[in-house]
Amino acid sequence: MMNRLNHLPTLKIDTAQKISYTYKGKSYYGVKGDTIASAMFANGVRIFGRSLKYHRPRGLYSLDGECSNTCMQVDGIPNVRCENTLLESGMVIEEQNVKGSAENDMMSFMDKLDWMMPAGFYYDVMHKPAKLWPVAMKQIRKAAGLGKISPDFKMPGKYDEVFLNTDVCIIGGGPAGMMAALSSAEKGLRVILMESRPWLGGFFEYRSAEYKDGQSLHDRATELAALVRAQENIRLFTHTACVGTYNNNLVTGFQIGKKSDVFDQRYVEIRAKSVVAAAGCIERPLLFDNNERPGVMQIACALRMAKTYGQLPGNKAVFSIGHDLGLEAAIELHDLGLTIECVADIREDGQDAVLLKQIAQRKIPLLKGWVAAKAFGRKKVKKVRLSSIDKMMRKTLECDLVVASAGVTPVTGHITVALGTLKYDNHTGCFLPDQMPENMFAAGRVLGLNDAMSIEASGTLAGLKASAACGLGSLEEIEKAAKIVEMLPGPVRGTKLVTAPVKGRKSFICFDEDATIKNIKQALAKGFDVPELIKRFTATGLGPGQGGIPGHNLPLYVAKCQTLPDVSIRPTNVRPPLVPTLISTYAGTNHTMFKTTAMDEMQRKDGGIFRNIGVWQRARYFSEDYACKKEIENVRNNVGMLDGSTLGKFRLHGPDALKALQRVYVSDMSKVKEGRIKYSAMCNDDGCVIDDGVVVKLGENDYYFTTSTGRAGQTIEWIRYHTRYDRWDFSLVNLTDSMGVINLSGPNARKVLEKIVDIDISNEAFGFSDYREFKIADTIPVRAMRLGFVGELSYELHVPASYMQSVWLMLKEAGKPFNIQNFGVEAQNVLRMEKCHIILGQESEQRTNLLDVGLGFLWNRSKSEAKTVGAVALAQAEHDQTRLKLVGFKTENNSRAPRDGALIVDQKVRGYVCTARDSFALNEAVGMALVDADLSKIGTRLEIYEDECGDDRIYGTVVKMPFYDPEGKRMKM
Amino acid sequence: MKDIKRVSPVKLKSNPLKTEKRDNWDIVMEYAGEGGGPYLVDLSHKPRLDLQNADVGAITPFGMTIPDSPGKCILQDGLLINRMNGTQASIYNLGYNLAGQEDVMMPDETGYTDVTESTICVAIIGKNIFSICEKLTALDFMSPEYVAPFLFQGPFSHVPCQIVTLSKAGDDSGIILTCSRGYGRDMIHSILDAGDEFNLKPAGENRFSDWISHL
Amino acid sequence: MALTITCPICGKRNGYEFRFGGEEKGPRPEENGLTPEAWCDYVHLNKCVAGVQEEWWFHKDGCGLWFTIQRDTTTNLEAETVSMSKLATENEEAEK
Repeated sequence: MMNRLNHLPTLKIDTAQKISYTYKGKSYYGVKGDTIASAMFANGVRIFGRSLKYHRPRGLYSLDGECSNTCMQVDGIPNVRCENTLLESGMVIEEQNVKGSAENDMMSFMDKLDWMMPAGFYYDVMHKPAKLWPVAMKQIRKAAGLGKISPDFKMPGKYDEVFLNTDVCIIGGGPAGMMAALSSAEKGLRVILMESRPWLGGFFEYRSAEYKDGQSLHDRATELAALVRAQENIRLFTHTACVGTYNNNLVTGFQIGKKSDVFDQRYVEIRAKSVVAAAGCIERPLLFDNNERPGVMQIACALRMAKTYGQLPGNKAVFSIGHDLGLEAAIELHDLGLTIECVADIREDGQDAVLLKQIAQRKIPLLKGWVAAKAFGRKKVKKVRLSSIDKMMRKTLECDLVVASAGVTPVTGHITVALGTLKYDNHTGCFLPDQMPENMFAAGRVLGLNDAMSIEASGTLAGLKASAACGLGSLEEIEKAAKIVEMLPGPVRGTKLVTAPVKGRKSFICFDEDATIKNIKQALAKGFDVPELIKRFTATGLGPGQGGIPGHNLPLYVAKCQTLPDVSIRPTNVRPPLVPTLISTYAGTNHTMFKTTAMDEMQRKDGGIFRNIGVWQRARYFSEDYACKKEIENVRNNVGMLDGSTLGKFRLHGPDALKALQRVYVSDMSKVKEGRIKYSAMCNDDGCVIDDGVVVKLGENDYYFTTSTGRAGQTIEWIRYHTRYDRWDFSLVNLTDSMGVINLSGPNARKVLEKIVDIDISNEAFGFSDYREFKIADTIPVRAMRLGFVGELSYELHVPASYMQSVWLMLKEAGKPFNIQNFGVEAQNVLRMEKCHIILGQESEQRTNLLDVGLGFLWNRSKSEAKTVGAVALAQAEHDQTRLKLVGFKTENNSRAPRDGALIVDQKVRGYVCTARDSFALNEAVGMALVDADLSKIGTRLEIYEDECGDDRIYGTVVKMPFYDPEGKRMKM
Repeated sequence: MKDIKRVSPVKLKSNPLKTEKRDNWDIVMEYAGEGGGPYLVDLSHKPRLDLQNADVGAITPFGMTIPDSPGKCILQDGLLINRMNGTQASIYNLGYNLAGQEDVMMPDETGYTDVTESTICVAIIGKNIFSICEKLTALDFMSPEYVAPFLFQGPFSHVPCQIVTLSKAGDDSGIILTCSRGYGRDMIHSILDAGDEFNLKPAGENRFSDWISHL
Repeated sequence: MALTITCPICGKRNGYEFRFGGEEKGPRPEENGLTPEAWCDYVHLNKCVAGVQEEWWFHKDGCGLWFTIQRDTTTNLEAETVSMSKLATENEEAEK
């Protein structure tokens, strides 16, 4: 293991604390503060994995996870970004996309086959001849993707979520972001500061150059960070990557948990009043041959390896740079002991004079107007060829490290995904913010700034603007702050060079997708002329790095190739997530929210098998016999109890209550009599039936009504919607959860109920379709209805939810002599089907109207002044012969019932089976179906087609409805 | 005949130390291991009324004036009135002085509906409670725009709720939350899960009575 | 959801809390003399403006109010909120 540089103030590691991990089955050590990548590098690993198409060796490049080079399989999770993930004790790390090992990959011959895979080869090659496709597909599937995951993989870890509100949200915890945070916080505003690295400081943090008056940039970063932490109204989120910005200043991100946190990752959603985008810059990759060979890395990567993780990134280095940061890094790394063979600077002039002097003092050879042209070395860099930009001169130097970078490029994704626009800036050669989204302000290096003072001042200015957007501050102070920024150095001139003078067969513009500049040329030759399309065609930027590596170079290169005089260079689009995000992180805690009834626990104890039905969990069966024979026969012959609490229940009161009823129910609701039940239905404006239920009158302008379980959630919304222009005075109260419902059904129901109530419930005193209110034991108020949904003597008891268990137990005890039993939703379904009582959604679908299901008798045509919802459409549909009709059928030759949803066919589809079951009461299979009107006559033969039945058919005959007890005597007993 | 009992939709797993019988409810006054806060207290037995009237502002339930604008609340002698919209208010009887005071009779006028049974009602009180809330809802409790007591009608753990913030004062903070009774099991689970890292523990009614009497 | 909607009762809230209720088309037409075509147009024909339109929203997770907002369909941003009082006067006018 490498000896670390130990005494730098910028270090983020503690070499005294060792952390063990396993790599390819062997045990290694890193130190506290290491990322997986830095720990592996310290152990001599240079090749982290192999590339997607060509299986080229890949290593450290940017240190901020902008490409898939260092993605590895960690603890079974594929594509872990090792540059951004802190090392933890016991981690098991594997290489990805290798056959053999990353060091010796048996698939590395692929690199020689690049000629077989030109740009767009998936599109071009694989579709002709068609026969080839299945073979090719298999191979492509095998080769596609990085990492391995099994279908039953369960993501480890704990995921959380947090939803925040703030005045100002600042993206980026560098100097500009911190200054912005401080200036907003001083106004007393609530501020959230997000930083993707685990610490604040950004561009200043790892640098030793002078800030001002002998203070180093690093010390300045530390000073600012302390000020930020001291502000109570700044909420700090470090190690939190921003993954999206949206209009209305919604910012999303994810935070990686510390040891002390209860989450591994958490989704962070921030609603702000204004946003500051201050995410700084990344480096623009330099394009030359083998520009991604292990040993080639960017400036900040090389520098931060030393300054943050205490490791010299190589022994002998050649620099090929285009920005002063490269000179600064060469000086710092030289002083830390790195041998620097040569610094090639793309720029002929314009370098910072002080830096030039320091380079000269150290006798580092500097070549102006030179650039790296090709790296040599089969697996790792051994040599590099430098060339003058005009190709006049070249020389080759031995080295094991090439520090290469064409310049910097602002991180603008946060601006563009929120629909801000960018403009190519001729001076810096960067895409700089043009139109900012409403209430979003850019600061720092995003604006092309480089000078430390300018960066800070722009942060202060952005903070003031963001505060003003929240309504605090004055125009005056903003103008003053803007003046200060103007006085300070503006953006520095950037290099325009896109690629070294090479043909580019092995110059990689996108590492993730193995796209070369040759591929771009191929796409151009095919006629693609817009970067956005070339991106799709060549897959450039479509990999896990989300365009971090090719984002800037692609449009520049395309513009260069097109050599049109007035080409306006436009960047390609980026989309959220701006950095790769786990699906588990988006899922968060994923609490499942279901409703349970008051009887839930008791029914589970009684053996209830529960199913999620809409928002509820309900007991569907009470035995493993899903045909529910016992449950059904018990209701038909004895007495059973069903928990019907999920039924929608509402109180409607107020002077205009009746008007509201008339509007939404198809019947004449003025005919509702006290003490009686009225059954009716609601339609939508197309006359399609959406709900049915009963209405009772509690008093003057006071009604109580029920809806189907599924509609309860929308009932108030529905009634209010359809009366929204009327300004009627009525009130609705949702009592669905307030009242439990017990359905006591079966010929012995009365004998059970009369034991626990004091009132006369004989058929004469409490007849079919009657409504009664009474108290059980002088205490529990009950609303009771005589209904016949299941076709037997039946009482529906509406009981305050908290008393449900008591009443249930009373009935159970009273029913003991009869051996009373539970029945579930499925038994009820069969019982009511035998009676041809419909359930909306089962005997209807979205296009089924009131008339189709045979409920036309409910519709009162003489209340047009009520403007009943659906009435106009029903009048129009009345004579329409092309509609489906609900019919009853039984199967021929005693064959089994077809499955629900099976099709009615002849030469074409003529309808479908709604519900069909083998009926125990009738000893045959019966069901209901929606069929074309001409098939609805009694005696018509129906041909029923089930999925995957081949040539087999079930045949049925249309019969009269209902099947069971057609006179309805049993429910009126 | 079986005992007549009212059962709360809120089931807390802690062991009750002290219980009280009131109006057929078994009310836990104190749980074992309540800890030092924050606390989750079941108040589902506290009577709650819905009041709707075109001219709701003119009604004075139990002699109290209903706040004039939606979102505003008034707490007086344990009675909490929350203005919901132009025509509606909710009334919670959080009565803490006397056990007997819980039995506020339904006023004789129409427009009132007893909705005690419609919802679960819990108090979340003590330190860090808004850190728990922000894990479950995007509602902005900490906005300086809202001065306690105030009412939010909005989602909490994806479920529509009425949430009354009675105090935002640091460790004395507290909210009362009601949501559909049916969601009781899952709502309590998600609140306790979110509160786990802050040591949120179930507590008895005494804890709530102490707290509200000091408001 | 990036969309926020300003409820006249509850203030600015996340769009998830609301259900869309269609474009503002005025009250239900009188049924007498109504042609099937006119009815169908009322129910199903929309203007689908690319720009600011008035439309109905229901605060389903909140106060349960139906109200209209002005929303720019090209940016999905709210343009202006109609206050309840304005809504009331509009209704009065509609009744006249």
